[in-house]
Amino acid sequence: MSSRTEAAVSSPAVQRTKIKPAPKRKWGGALLGLVLPVLILILWETASRAGWVAPYLLPSPTAVVEEMSGMAQEGELWGHISITLYRVFAGFFAGLAAAVVLGAATGYSRIARQLLDPMLQALRAIPSLAWVPLFVLWIGIGEASKITLVAVGVFFPVYLNLTSGIQGVDRKLIEVGRIYHFTSLQQIKKVILPAALPSFIVGLRSGLSLGWMFVVAAELLGASQGLGYLMVYGQNTSAPAIVIGSILLFAVFGKITDEVLKRIQTRALKWQDNLENA
Amino acid sequence: MLTVKKVSRTFQSGATGFENIDLQVKRGEVVGVLGTSGCGKSTLLRVLSGLDPEYEGSIQTKSENRGNAFGMMFQEPRLMPWLDVLDNVTFGFSKPSKKEAALELIETVGLKGFEHHYPKDLSGGMAQRAAIARSLLSQPDILLLDEPFSALDAFTKMQLQDLLLSIWEKHHTTTLLVTHDIDEALYLCDRIVIMRGQPGQIESELFIQRPKPRKRGDAVLGELKEQILKELDFTKR
Repeated sequence: MSSRTEAAVSSPAVQRTKIKPAPKRKWGGALLGLVLPVLILILWETASRAGWVAPYLLPSPTAVVEEMSGMAQEGELWGHISITLYRVFAGFFAGLAAAVVLGAATGYSRIARQLLDPMLQALRAIPSLAWVPLFVLWIGIGEASKITLVAVGVFFPVYLNLTSGIQGVDRKLIEVGRIYHFTSLQQIKKVILPAALPSFIVGLRSGLSLGWMFVVAAELLGASQGLGYLMVYGQNTSAPAIVIGSILLFAVFGKITDEVLKRIQTRALKWQDNLENA
Repeated sequence: MLTVKKVSRTFQSGATGFENIDLQVKRGEVVGVLGTSGCGKSTLLRVLSGLDPEYEGSIQTKSENRGNAFGMMFQEPRLMPWLDVLDNVTFGFSKPSKKEAALELIETVGLKGFEHHYPKDLSGGMAQRAAIARSLLSQPDILLLDEPFSALDAFTKMQLQDLLLSIWEKHHTTTLLVTHDIDEALYLCDRIVIMRGQPGQIESELFIQRPKPRKRGDAVLGELKEQILKELDFTKR
């Protein structure tokens, strides 16, 4: 018993040491994320050079880069890239505009919700690619049908997130607005929209990623230009380097555009009390 | 300043809420509404503030425009999380015109230096201070306080009660304070209205003549507390 007491005195039961906060390892984290891709690239390159895989199935990374840079130098690649970007952005903004109007209406007004929401939810159940034949039939094989398809893809996530964001606004905050005798418009502008912003931005990001998915679908199915067309072309001419190169370009542009939205998100939502801002 | 005549607001076909409330509040008076939970005292404030328009009876104020007849402060701070303290205090007004007044109020409530902090970075007491500043900015004729300190710890509560006292000394704001804390009512109010029953009715009224600031351990207040506890006797109906 006595020895226990002594032990307790010499070393307190609860001991806390203040640890200096670790410096932010932003670059260290980024480097860590690079380890796996670089390893895979090295493995891939060696596999191709050593002849473990047939080059007509999986060309080496250097072969892919050579092929694509060749196309870039001839100027052909830029046309494909720019038309794909044009389709994504045009479709994105068209879908966004429609989603904001309808999402705000159904989120805010009960009548609009009862009128529109069941129909939109039913339309959402249709697999996206099922629209393609109809769009081609209606608006032809040109740009408009592809942009429409992208817009349809962007519309639903933005719409759903905006409506649910608006409906989820804290009643207690709306009451504060009512104390100030806000009109509906002031209420929307000063309370509802800012409060729904986090959900809206989540919708934007998933809308954009669906937009990229749908542009590939549109270009695979009927296009004479664009990165998706390039993939079909590579497939038909048995040039896997072109297919892989196009896939990589999709990855790069998809990542860049998402990163832009992510930056906007971080800036606009720095008031949020969450782990990221802790 | 405020005349309430035969005002009723009941829910669930008369089982809860309050009925036949007659109340007069004079200019500069601080009136406490004390009652057990469920006697409709918070509902009374919601009716007065206009949040609940479904009442019967008449409510009259002496203020010219409806816009700033009532200022309201809730049990929770209810700050807009996307606005910093300054923008929260000027909420509902165009910022440039009210900036000076807002900064002054922020200083009064002891938040100087925190103008540009977001609510997530404030403690509960600080957030409630910001809410006090916000409710005072419109210079309301009548300030309605709905159990404003019930969610705070004992020390913060006392600090903010003293803050209210100093604000009253400066602005002479007519105030209706709903609370279930007898000590708080005795410490802050000129008059206490006791509500009880379901639906709640005014049981009695109590004038407290002691000059403010009062001592928290005042013997007279202690006797009054005994009396109130008897009034609220939970065994009788």
